Amino acid sequence: MRPRIILMDFISQLKEWKRSPGTMFWTFAFPILMMLIFGAIFSDMDDVSYDLYVQDLDGTGSSEQFLSGISQIDAVNIINISADENLDDYIEEHNCKAVLVIPEGFQAQAMQSVTDPNATVNLTLKLDPSQQSSNGVIWSIILNSANQMNLQLAQGSNVVGIQEESLMSENFEYIDFFMPAVIGITVMNSAVYGTIFRNTRYKKVGILRKLLTTPIKRSEWMVSKMLFMTFLGFVSSAAIIGTGIAVFDINVHINAFLFLIIVSAAFAFSGMALVLTRYITDEEIADSAAGALTFPMLFLAGTFFPLEGMPSYLQAIAKFLPLYYVNEGLRDAMIYSNWEGAVFNSMIVFVLAVVVFTLGVILTRWKDD
Amino acid sequence: MSTEENGTAISVKELEKHYGELKAVNNIDLSIKKGEVFAFLGPNGAGKTTTVEMIVNIRTPTKGSISVLGLDPQKDMKHISERIGILPQEFKSFERLTVRETLKYYSALFKKNVDIDELLKHIDIEDQAEKLYKNLSGGLKQRVGVAIALVNDPEIVFLDEPTTGLDPKARRGVWKVIAGLKDRNKTVFLTTHYMEEAEYLADRIAIIDAGSIIAMGRTEELIDRYGGVAKLTVKGCGKNGAEAIKKVLALKEFDQKNGDITFQLQPEQEVLDVLHKLKENGIGYKAIDIRRSNLEDVFLSLTGKSLKEEEQ
Repeated sequence: MRPRIILMDFISQLKEWKRSPGTMFWTFAFPILMMLIFGAIFSDMDDVSYDLYVQDLDGTGSSEQFLSGISQIDAVNIINISADENLDDYIEEHNCKAVLVIPEGFQAQAMQSVTDPNATVNLTLKLDPSQQSSNGVIWSIILNSANQMNLQLAQGSNVVGIQEESLMSENFEYIDFFMPAVIGITVMNSAVYGTIFRNTRYKKVGILRKLLTTPIKRSEWMVSKMLFMTFLGFVSSAAIIGTGIAVFDINVHINAFLFLIIVSAAFAFSGMALVLTRYITDEEIADSAAGALTFPMLFLAGTFFPLEGMPSYLQAIAKFLPLYYVNEGLRDAMIYSNWEGAVFNSMIVFVLAVVVFTLGVILTRWKDD
Repeated sequence: MSTEENGTAISVKELEKHYGELKAVNNIDLSIKKGEVFAFLGPNGAGKTTTVEMIVNIRTPTKGSISVLGLDPQKDMKHISERIGILPQEFKSFERLTVRETLKYYSALFKKNVDIDELLKHIDIEDQAEKLYKNLSGGLKQRVGVAIALVNDPEIVFLDEPTTGLDPKARRGVWKVIAGLKDRNKTVFLTTHYMEEAEYLADRIAIIDAGSIIAMGRTEELIDRYGGVAKLTVKGCGKNGAEAIKKVLALKEFDQKNGDITFQLQPEQEVLDVLHKLKENGIGYKAIDIRRSNLEDVFLSLTGKSLKEEEQ
């Protein structure tokens, strides 16, 4: 492999990119606009209150203490349901969107945890799947309250649980959740659309045939393209993070995981696009193919709303989507400082990148046979 | 003695390319000398591009052998690619690079390079050097395509349909550039479906139809052998006159329309003899038009089809 050739190809791409208003828009303006628009929409929603119906079947000091913690949050309006009520009937009658059930024995189990580290108690949170935006907020509030109680009871061990996932705290706002996902979808879109469009166009206009008859190696060409995709990923990320800090005062942690996830994501999504390009011969259907690959991920991978608020079957689907691990990994690394999650998610994205990109390289053909 | 040592630039034997049942290229034999301008003439879909693309290893042959500068493209393309230049069919380069940047890009891929300024001058596109490729006209884009094929000072230049889709003026501009390659002692393998292009540029022509070479030789040889001496049109003789001419001259092949009749003169036929026979038989007419036979007549004679009709 000759670095001179790779550098020359990289610089040529940079020149083309710099001169293309369209690609400049998608790299800079689009993610920043999305940040500003969604940030503004959900910042206004800070004043909105959420109705949380609570049925306390325990009725003890501990359950009351747990609920008083939640009631101090202005955004939550607690409506008590009598322990005697039939919950299902009540929900139907009152069209409840979010219901928290504190089980009988809540205090007893919590107390037992002092002597028995295996003692746990689960709260039941019933959420209307159609209320995805408010579900995410309510979920994070309940989870934070549970975490606070766990800290008091057993130094953070999971005594009180809902589901063993997010570590979000009440200090985080929607934009903290959203900004890493903007980086994720920008890297994904650049890599998928860039790779599919470039390969189909270059095939159509004869550039790949021309290159096949020159001494350039396929590996040199691909490495250059990937370096450029990674460069774009970093440039976009810098613009997004800069906007996040300047406009929304987000506290961003820059660390090695952030770099690892962006590089891996660029390779993984480019690899997926390369595999797809193997079967696309028409430039005109390239756009649709790229859309078919990215669109489901955009909405199902926990980009706009927390996955916990989605129906369980969609949550299961999300676990198969690479963007989910990119988004979660970036959130863990940049925002929540959840290193366990950052390692787990970045490793998944890294392994996926190695496997899919290798497959893409193997399947990519310049020959016309 | 290798093919290169005996002055052969390209040698192809029993070359075939099959796509399922379809034989896109069928049993082709070729030998092109160094410094020769060789044209592959035939209608669209005849197998010209497939043949060229097999020679430069863009496609893999189903059968047969190829030698380029004494080397096998399937095994030695790394070495061959340094010594050849190609303008692929319907080629377009990077939209947002300037002409100079484009030439520098392709030039950097090779060990041997020509001076970019000299190349721009040679192709007569010096004044376009700083323009973006996307802003060039079709003719200029093709000239840049030829220039790209020359960045490594190649021994053989493959030009696949270099003037397709260009207007006559732009086409002549490209012809001028290609004609200049011969002066620089380059071997040129040109594919085209324009007979004027082949006739104007080529030292030797192979006519290909339905995957097979149906004739090969110098233009004059092909015309002499297959095209007849000349075409004669008797104008304004009317339907009855045309019928009489067919009978008197025992014509088997002719073109009759609007009261005119056109037919090929045989090598032994003299125009004056024909006119004498018309007079003898009392056949009247308004005018006589005599045209020298060309490659179109050769193609018609060999395939029974017009090359122009095939193009359409």
